[in-house]
Amino acid sequence: MTKSVLFVSAFALMTSAAVAHHGWGSYDASKPITVAGPIVTSKFENPHATITVQASGKVWTVTLAPTSRMNNRGATEKVVAVGQNVSAYGYPSTAQTDEMRAERITVNGKTYEMR
Amino acid sequence: MTEGAPALFVALEQSGFAASIRQSTWLYPAANIGHIVSLTFFAGAIAVMDVRLLGGLAATAPASLLARTRSVAFAALVGMAMTGAVLFSAEASHLAVNRAFQLKAALVAAGLVNIAIYELWARRAVERLQPGAPMPARAKIAGILSLGIWVAVAACGRSIAYF
Repeated sequence: MTKSVLFVSAFALMTSAAVAHHGWGSYDASKPITVAGPIVTSKFENPHATITVQASGKVWTVTLAPTSRMNNRGATEKVVAVGQNVSAYGYPSTAQTDEMRAERITVNGKTYEMR
Repeated sequence: MTEGAPALFVALEQSGFAASIRQSTWLYPAANIGHIVSLTFFAGAIAVMDVRLLGGLAATAPASLLARTRSVAFAALVGMAMTGAVLFSAEASHLAVNRAFQLKAALVAAGLVNIAIYELWARRAVERLQPGAPMPARAKIAGILSLGIWVAVAACGRSIAYF
């Protein structure tokens, strides 16, 4: 009994750890979505910039590109600053709810490719 | 930050050091490139050493060949450790719970243990050998384990992004 409880809790711990992290493999490219709304938080950081967006009653975490590529494409820190209205087209995470990887974003009528 | 990651790794990721790595435009990619370049030197040096331990390149005296390749392998290992520390710090809480990273860390430990065992129990016998002399079994075992372990380490490293 003690053994099976231990086994089950160990298994639960392992699977929760596995769910907690997700790599680039865990996005569903067959179900592209668009998340549009104001930027709530913005991290212009490596290995990839991330923003959170208030959209349809939820706060989405949107994973963008490495900062050097963001700058090269013109999607600078100011473009993805808090308060900007963004429309992000991309793929929802299969591992984390309300998280997506952006293929491209549009801010102030200008579209920036993230890949 | 990943919820449920051990506090040590969360603290590392939230440190000023890790933040400055993430906020720098060039540091993270530079460490990434340095890590791969170090890996190519390490893999090259290790492959020559392992092939020699397995009985290849038999016309050379093991002692002189291994001495030269060892210094390249050691320098490359230091390079990988330093650049790896930079890459790890930036995403410590994610990596600590990433399966591919966990397996990679275990394999690196196994690779270092294999080196220690070779140094203690096989190195002296190997370095006394003349060119063309047959390799003792323990040297061959160390060589084949080294090849397998380090190739698996590289494969796990690349797999981190997919788990």
